[in-house]
Amino acid sequence: MTSLLRYQFINYFRTYHYVPPFTIFILCLVVNYTFVPNPILDSYSFTSLLLFFLMGWFTVTLFHAEDEGQKIITTLHTRSPVHYNLGILIICGLIAFSLSCVSIIYPILIDAFFERPKGLHILLGFLSHFSLSLLSIALTALFTRELVKNRQNTWWGVLCILIISVVIATIKNNILQINGLIWLLPPVHLSLEMMSIDDQIKGIPNIFFWQFAWIFIYTSFIVLLFFFLANRKRK
Amino acid sequence: MTTILEVQNICKQYNGKKILENVSISIAANQIIALVGNNGSGKSTLLKIMAALLKPDSGFIVKHRQALKIGYVPEVTPSHILFTPQEYLYHMGCIRGMNKKQILQKIEDLLELFQLIDARNTRIVHFSKGMKQKVMIMQAMLEETDLLILDEPLSGLDAKAQNDFEQILTKVRDKGLSIILTCHETKLLENLVDSVLLIQQNKVIQAKELSNNPVHKLIFEISSLPSLNEIFPFIEIQHKRLLSSGQYEIVSIVQEKDSDQILLKLLQKNASIKYLATINHNKEQFSSHF
Repeated sequence: MTSLLRYQFINYFRTYHYVPPFTIFILCLVVNYTFVPNPILDSYSFTSLLLFFLMGWFTVTLFHAEDEGQKIITTLHTRSPVHYNLGILIICGLIAFSLSCVSIIYPILIDAFFERPKGLHILLGFLSHFSLSLLSIALTALFTRELVKNRQNTWWGVLCILIISVVIATIKNNILQINGLIWLLPPVHLSLEMMSIDDQIKGIPNIFFWQFAWIFIYTSFIVLLFFFLANRKRK
Repeated sequence: MTTILEVQNICKQYNGKKILENVSISIAANQIIALVGNNGSGKSTLLKIMAALLKPDSGFIVKHRQALKIGYVPEVTPSHILFTPQEYLYHMGCIRGMNKKQILQKIEDLLELFQLIDARNTRIVHFSKGMKQKVMIMQAMLEETDLLILDEPLSGLDAKAQNDFEQILTKVRDKGLSIILTCHETKLLENLVDSVLLIQQNKVIQAKELSNNPVHKLIFEISSLPSLNEIFPFIEIQHKRLLSSGQYEIVSIVQEKDSDQILLKLLQKNASIKYLATINHNKEQFSSHF
C-alpha cells in the first residue's frame, strides 16, 4: 500500500492539477485574515466551508490524475480495485488533514483573532475542517469516473451535491417536516450550527462530539456506498 | 504442446446483450495466438476476462500451471505518463510487491531487450506511440510472465513501428512466453502468429493452427468435377466456378510434396493448368480472416 500511495502522490504532484484549488485555498486564507482581529469560530467555520468545496476539486483531480489506460494497469499491479481506490482516498484524506492543520495554525501564527485561541477552539476548528473535508471527499467520490462515465457530469454532480449540502442548512426547518429525511442528507449543517456558537464558551458540549461523530459515520457510509457501487459497476 | 491456460464455456453479457456465448479456447506454451473479429465482437471482453479484469457470467478460466503469471497490455495506450521508463517500471514493480534489487535487475534486462536504454531518463509522455507501446509491454513483463495478453497492440502504429513491434514479439516468444493478441485491420503479424481464433456471433467459431509447410497455389480448368475424386484428398479447394465454356475453374492449395503427382494426374484427365506458384500459406490463412 505504501508503494501505491507513493506512486499516486508523485503522479498527482507531477500533474500540477492541484495548483488551482491550492492557490484558491491560500488566497482565500490570506484574504480572510487580512483584516484583524477576527472572531475565532466564525472564521474557522468559513475556512472549513471553503475547504469543503476545495476538497471536492482535489478529489476529482486525484481520481482522474491517471490516464484511463494507466488506471487499468495500476489496478492490475495493485491486484485489487478496492486497494487502488482506497489508496486515492487515503491521499485525499492526507491532503484534507494537512490543509485542515494549515487552516487552524495560520491565523494563530499571524495573531489574527480577537483573543488567543484555547484548546477547545483549536479542537472544534480542527474537527470542523477535517470532518467537512472528509465528507466532501466521500460525496465527490460518488461522481468520479469510477462511477460516472461522462466527465462533464462529474463536475456538475460534484458542484450540485456540495452546494445542496450547504443549502440544506438554510432550509433545514422545511426538511424537518419530513420525518427522517434530515438523516439521509449530508450533515454539513451540523458543523455550521456548532461553529456559530459564541467564542466565549467554557467547554465543548457533549452533543457536539456526537454531532461530529455523526458526520464521520455518515462519511463512512458514503465511502462504503462508493465501494459497493464501484464493485457492482465492474460486474 | 503443453496447455498453460484454458477458457471453458465462458458467457458474458452487457445490459442484456450477449457478447460471448460458451467460448472455450486453450492456450499452449510458447505460442502466439491472434484473436480476430469485427468491432464489438467480444475480443477485448474475452481478453479482459482472461486477465481477470472482468468476471464472466458463467464459465471458468483454468490455469494449468501453479501461479501462472499473466501480463496485460490494454487497448488504450496511456498517453500521459509523467515518469521516465526507469521510474515508471520501478513504481509498478514496487506496487506489485517485488523487491528493489529484483526490480532494478529486471528493468535493466527489459530496457536492453526493448532497446530503450538511451531513453531511460526521458519522460514517457514525450515518447512516440511505438515507444509507449514498448513500455506497456515492459510493465506487463516485470515479473516472470507466462502469458502476455495484448489488446490491439498495433493500432495507431506506423509501418516502421509495426515492424519493430513484430521483432519484439518474436524476441518475447523466444524467451518462452505465450502471447494472445487481438488485431483488427493489420496483416503485419501474418508471419508471426501460430494460430488464429475468429470470434463471430459471440462464439469462437474457428480455431486453426497455421501450417508452416510450403504450399502451392494451383489454378486449373477441367470439364468434369467427378474426375477429381481421386485427387480431392490431396487438394484444398478455395474457389470453383463454372465458366461460359462449360469448363470448371478451380482455385486450390496443394502441398509442395504432392504437387508433381497432382499435376500429372490433372494432365492425364485433360485438365488445363492456368497458374502454379509457391505461396506463404500462413499469410493466406491469416489474411483470409480480415
